[in-house]
Amino acid sequence: MISNYLKLAIKVLGRRTFFTAISLFGISFTLMVLILLSAFIDAEFGNHQPLTQKDDMVFLERAMMKLIVQDTTWEVDSLRLDGNMVYDSTMQVKDITTSTSTASAGYYLCNNYLRDVTGAVNYSFYAPSRTFDLFIEGKKLTFNAIYADAAYWQIFDFSFSHGRPFTKQENDNASQIAILSTQAARNYFGSSSNAVGKFLELDGKQFEVIGIIKKLKNAKPFVSADVYLPLQTINPMAINQDNLLGTFEAVFLANSEKGKADILASLEQKAKQIPLPNPEEYNNLYLKGTDLLGRYALYVLPISDNNYDKAKKVFLLITISLLLLFVLLPTLNLINLNVSRVMERSAEIGVRKAFGAHSGSILMQLVFENVILTLLGGIIGYLLAYIVLYLVNDSNILGEIVLQFNTTIFIYSILICLAFGIISGLLPAYRMSKIHIVNAIKQHQI
Amino acid sequence: MIQLKEVSKVYQTKTIETTALNNISIQVSSGEFLSIMGPSGCGKSTLLNIMGMIDEPSSGKVTISGQSISNYHSKALARFRNQKLGFIFQSFHLINELSVIDNVELPLIYRKTSARERRKMAAEALEQVGLKNRMKHFPGQLSGGQKQRVAIARAIVGKPGIILADEPTGNLDSVMGAEIMDILLKLNKELGTTIVMVTHDETMAQKTHRLIRLFDGSQVQ
Repeated sequence: MISNYLKLAIKVLGRRTFFTAISLFGISFTLMVLILLSAFIDAEFGNHQPLTQKDDMVFLERAMMKLIVQDTTWEVDSLRLDGNMVYDSTMQVKDITTSTSTASAGYYLCNNYLRDVTGAVNYSFYAPSRTFDLFIEGKKLTFNAIYADAAYWQIFDFSFSHGRPFTKQENDNASQIAILSTQAARNYFGSSSNAVGKFLELDGKQFEVIGIIKKLKNAKPFVSADVYLPLQTINPMAINQDNLLGTFEAVFLANSEKGKADILASLEQKAKQIPLPNPEEYNNLYLKGTDLLGRYALYVLPISDNNYDKAKKVFLLITISLLLLFVLLPTLNLINLNVSRVMERSAEIGVRKAFGAHSGSILMQLVFENVILTLLGGIIGYLLAYIVLYLVNDSNILGEIVLQFNTTIFIYSILICLAFGIISGLLPAYRMSKIHIVNAIKQHQI
Repeated sequence: MIQLKEVSKVYQTKTIETTALNNISIQVSSGEFLSIMGPSGCGKSTLLNIMGMIDEPSSGKVTISGQSISNYHSKALARFRNQKLGFIFQSFHLINELSVIDNVELPLIYRKTSARERRKMAAEALEQVGLKNRMKHFPGQLSGGQKQRVAIARAIVGKPGIILADEPTGNLDSVMGAEIMDILLKLNKELGTTIVMVTHDETMAQKTHRLIRLFDGSQVQ
């Protein structure tokens, strides 16, 4: 029976080529976008190096300070009573925020207060915002740098093509060593394979290259850089000042969900206990940790007060709504096309029913045909996505992000195709399967 | 074989009520070749459809092969039609996208018959109607008479006891019509298949065992 369905499905596709072409275009275009989107989501949130432990990480991306003062307001009511004016007044005292400062954490804050956060099994402090201009053979290169401690290489599992990460001792000694990205090594030394052991000049100082990391799949600023340097080699001003705000971030590693919750609570608790250097300027400190999705959501949707939870909810709501809308519109269009395609075949359906097909087998046949159509559209969409993906990666339009196909995306694509086929085919097929045989056969054309 | 007792069919809309069949009682014996005649709109096809269980009577009782079908649910009716009945339509109703042999196999698809067995049975049915050499052709490549022969092969492939033919020669010229009629007569004679045929052609009707005439939904002969 299946071979008969398959044979007929292929023949039916060739019957109305214009309809088939429109349907295939709609399906393949939608699937192409969905596949590209899946590849993007996978690149950004998938379990890829150096973020394979991302689910156990809590980031302290920024700290916030506020000056909160009490504000008193008076309300005066008046009314005329027995010909005389009577006045009544009420007083309200409210906290109001008069100024806010949000920035990355200062090294002073990290070093003095964040080394014993409850729930953390490991932690790292790093500064991701420095850039260097380098000149080589008259050509200017701009390198983004991340200053990191030794734990950074334990929490973020980078893959090294050559060499190694730096150790705690090397960081503590402020050793002038550097780790380069593959691309940076190529740009500076002409090749990444022989760069280890060579020297790189940054701000007039020589740094020995001790490792080369492989190209990353994503471009998150806290892991993606051209050069990685020991934290202790940063400008001494950055680590010696006693400012709570500065240029550092912290990442804490938990080993359970409870551990993550403890880290978040511990950070909030610490914020209340840390003495503020100048309470007249700022009298409240807020340390809100978040996971990868939270910091991504807040980056995309700058919501006030660093409210990660709200940002995540809004981000997910918008993303899911857009995805649903994106899938729903072509599905409705396909249902509409399918209704007219199927209605043309009412006489055939009538004959099949007369010869013993029951409604269920008609329903199955029509849905099967639609699944074949969508799978065909899926193959075209997959090929299109492959081409577009190659062009996107080649053009560097997404910066460091490398979109890739993998088994998960392939399985998702197949599932999307099947769901698309079944959903868009079910309604017209159901209507047709219930058609009265005599009325159906009266349609003379098959 | 087929028994209709006081069968009526009334089509009802909001404003009008049309009686297509009025209190018809007919008995068709096993192996009989019965023809139904009457002017257009007299209810011939409705009667055939009710006998074929593809339409329901408004009142009355239909018994086929001793089984009353009024209580059958749709799946059981479909199975019953598949095993006991074969249909031949005036407009052939072949599926143009399928080859001749695939068209003939159609009723067997809804049985648990293996693909090899289906091919064998369909080839035999085509041989019976003299079209074995056209198995791989498509309906569009056949003449009207050949199409109707394919339709007959499709009707007999499942070896049903009853064939219901709705003006099988209506769309054919007299020579082709006669060929089709000869095949039906041969099926009736050699295989003992019960055939009920609606026709406008008096000559064809005279070749059958019995003729009934309808007028305005009532049996007049």
